[in-house]
Amino acid sequence: MTAPVLEVRGLSVSFGGLRAVDNVSFAVARNRVTTVIGPNGAGKSTLFNLISGAVRPAAGEVLIDGTDQTGHTPNHLQAAGLARSFQITNLFFELSVAENLRLAAQILEPMRMALRPVSASRAAQQRVDELLERFELADKGAMPVAKLSHGEQRRLEVAVALAGKPKILLLDEPTQGMSHGDTADTARLIRSLASDVTVLLIEHDIGLVMSLSDTVIVMHQGRKLAEGTPDAVRGNPDVQSAYFGHA
Amino acid sequence: MADALTRSMRASHVLVAVLVAASLIFAGIGVVKGDTFYLRLGTEALIFAGLALSVDILLGYTGLLSLGQALYFGLGAYVSALVLMVTPSFWAAMGATLVAAMIVGAVGGVVANRVRGVYFALITFGMAQVAAKVVYNTRALGASDGLIGVPIIKVNFGFAAISSASPAGFFLFTLAFIVILYALAAYLLDTPFGRLLIALKANERRVPFLGYDTVTPRLLVYVIAAVIAALSGALYPMLRGFVSPELLFFSTSGNAVITVVTGGVGTLVGALYGGILLTLLKSVIGSYTEHHLIVIGLLFMGAVIFLPRGLMGIVRPAIERLLARRTKS
Amino acid sequence: MSTAIEYFQFVLAPQMLIGLVLGVAVILVALGLTIIFGLLDVINMSHGEFYALGAFIALALGSIGLPFWLLVILVPLVMLPVGYIVERGLIQRVFHSGERHVTTLLLTFGLGLVMEDAFRLVFGPNPHKPETPISGAIDVFGVFLPLYRLFLIVGGAVIVALVALVLYRTRLGAMVRAAAFDRHMAASLGVPVQHVYAGAFAFGVALAGLAGVLLAPIYSVFPTMGRDFILMAFTVVIVGGMGSIAGVVVAGLLLTQVQAVSSLYISPVWSDPIVFGIMVIMLMVRPQGLFGRLGHG
Repeated sequence: MTAPVLEVRGLSVSFGGLRAVDNVSFAVARNRVTTVIGPNGAGKSTLFNLISGAVRPAAGEVLIDGTDQTGHTPNHLQAAGLARSFQITNLFFELSVAENLRLAAQILEPMRMALRPVSASRAAQQRVDELLERFELADKGAMPVAKLSHGEQRRLEVAVALAGKPKILLLDEPTQGMSHGDTADTARLIRSLASDVTVLLIEHDIGLVMSLSDTVIVMHQGRKLAEGTPDAVRGNPDVQSAYFGHA
Repeated sequence: MADALTRSMRASHVLVAVLVAASLIFAGIGVVKGDTFYLRLGTEALIFAGLALSVDILLGYTGLLSLGQALYFGLGAYVSALVLMVTPSFWAAMGATLVAAMIVGAVGGVVANRVRGVYFALITFGMAQVAAKVVYNTRALGASDGLIGVPIIKVNFGFAAISSASPAGFFLFTLAFIVILYALAAYLLDTPFGRLLIALKANERRVPFLGYDTVTPRLLVYVIAAVIAALSGALYPMLRGFVSPELLFFSTSGNAVITVVTGGVGTLVGALYGGILLTLLKSVIGSYTEHHLIVIGLLFMGAVIFLPRGLMGIVRPAIERLLARRTKS
Repeated sequence: MSTAIEYFQFVLAPQMLIGLVLGVAVILVALGLTIIFGLLDVINMSHGEFYALGAFIALALGSIGLPFWLLVILVPLVMLPVGYIVERGLIQRVFHSGERHVTTLLLTFGLGLVMEDAFRLVFGPNPHKPETPISGAIDVFGVFLPLYRLFLIVGGAVIVALVALVLYRTRLGAMVRAAAFDRHMAASLGVPVQHVYAGAFAFGVALAGLAGVLLAPIYSVFPTMGRDFILMAFTVVIVGGMGSIAGVVVAGLLLTQVQAVSSLYISPVWSDPIVFGIMVIMLMVRPQGLFGRLGHG
């Protein structure tokens, strides 16, 4: 039995006396979609920050493919196969869509290509074209990201995270602020991604969560409240009171 | 389909070609008229344009304002002078300058790159002030008088040699040298390394998540800028026969910054045109009054307020449009 | 034992006194700089030139016969509208651009150049030294204390205390601190943020000008006096913490004492490198300085 793609054990961190993430443990199954849900302030984004190396955990471990990656820097984690997108769009707004993707895809090329002209990195260029196609941004390659619609920017967020061919993809509210149509399209896209990558996702849209996820993890006040299939979680009384029981 | 960055760099190349052509004409006229003064002034303008180029590499591409690039310029000048006084070999002087700049640049880079923004500007300002003071007070380096008596040299290419005493010859040589530095800088920007620097300026936070180290590229570009400033400075004693601590003063760094901002930050070619413009202005205004700094200072402030993209911000898009029209037809 | 006391009386104490006088000047200048940064988020590269401006205005007005005491009050008052206009007319024009830090730095740098050359144009490049307004000295425990320097130290301390008082105990001060902490919230609470900003800048440069007036009899007045001073002022602001008044006072006293005492043992050439070295170490180890920011302090 091989190690899970991503495993966290006893992950904790506090910010000024508040336990943002409290002893969270779970394992993410390969090529599955796992969604983390929870009310606002449950610690979901902080959890992502801990896993992706943006924040150092006070306790606990992060393992990727069985190797301990706790406390490593984001670029180190990328090399280990982890990529993430951000809840608040965090792209290179002045640069073009294609350039954003190319920057992310360039990591696939060997170091010696770093001092050769950009056009010589064919593998990276190919990856860019692939992604432009797949994410339906092909006619917008030269456009600066700042000029894209919100939905297109959110799509690009996911595309950029995917560009480096990660093993595991962390998506932080990918459909945040999207229109209904865009959300449905994005859901389909995420579903199709699962065949190449393992997806760990934070989402608020319950309908989406139920239809997309293989596993759902519920967080509340920094702790993991429940874990299971969408139906199992939906029926869980603790989860219900966490969402609806507190005024 | 060329990327916007590539397109604007192409416009820059066109402008450099124009500059070279104009310089050739200028040199031609100078030779015919038997001029020495203006050719030497032009050479000096090009040398300081090299310093401006190094400022633009930092400011334009990584967004870091260095207020102390004169430190490396002066370093290059002094090292070159010292080597030339021992052995009048161009290559020895350049070689020594290269090594010195890499070492000092690495140290300076490690110190300065711990911080960003205004703190970076202040640290670089401080470094240059300290260096200037030390040189000013070091008798072995000529103290406030500097070093004089740098011999005339011959730059040997094997098949030909150019003497630093020849105004037109050395002018053209310096032109070629600076254009090569420009070409190197421009080339770098079209590489993944260069694009990474641009990405760091655009959104530093995201870069590590793409898998890149942020410390090494910053340090590397700082050293590259230091080397470019130093190599430009190394030409100075060859032209003038002396070096003085003024080369390290804040005014030298400040002038370079003014050059870049008026020319156009991040265009590289703006540093070249800006340098020439500044030299021209100084000598024109200087013939009327000693207080050219007031005029230049006011023009500079005007550029900061009204021309945030510098002169090149107006000229380059026009050229880009011209190029686009030509490729369409 | 007595040689130690004598050493203190004749060597150390006078040097510390010199350091203290410089310290007061540096604190007044740096105070303005830190208020401007803490409130406006602007690095005023021309701050040294405003210090010089105060001295030059005093020189000009003094030469038409105005007494020193009047100058001490008049010069800062004159500089207030100058600062106000500079802020509204120049700085505000680039304040809202994306790269505000760089553009305001460049703009004020340009302004400094213009001012410095203007001084040279009007007053010539040579130093002028106004007469010391209070002559004579007193003897305190065997230490020779020139009266004017004593006045400077006491006066400077009073001014700093007044500034702190206004900032932390008055309604005006509360408005300034609110605007520093959160501009939009302050605006929605009815604080006239535009005027507060311009006023703070004006006040900051007026302080620098006041320092210029007070120190002119000791250090002379010449066009590059601002440039020479600015590294020390920035170091004090950085070491103390951008936007912190307590920081400026502590760092100002500390750094000037270090410089004064060390010059007894090391050649003065090294005083700049030492000061700069402290700035670098601080920036690398604790970039926010010793204390916090104006709004958050």
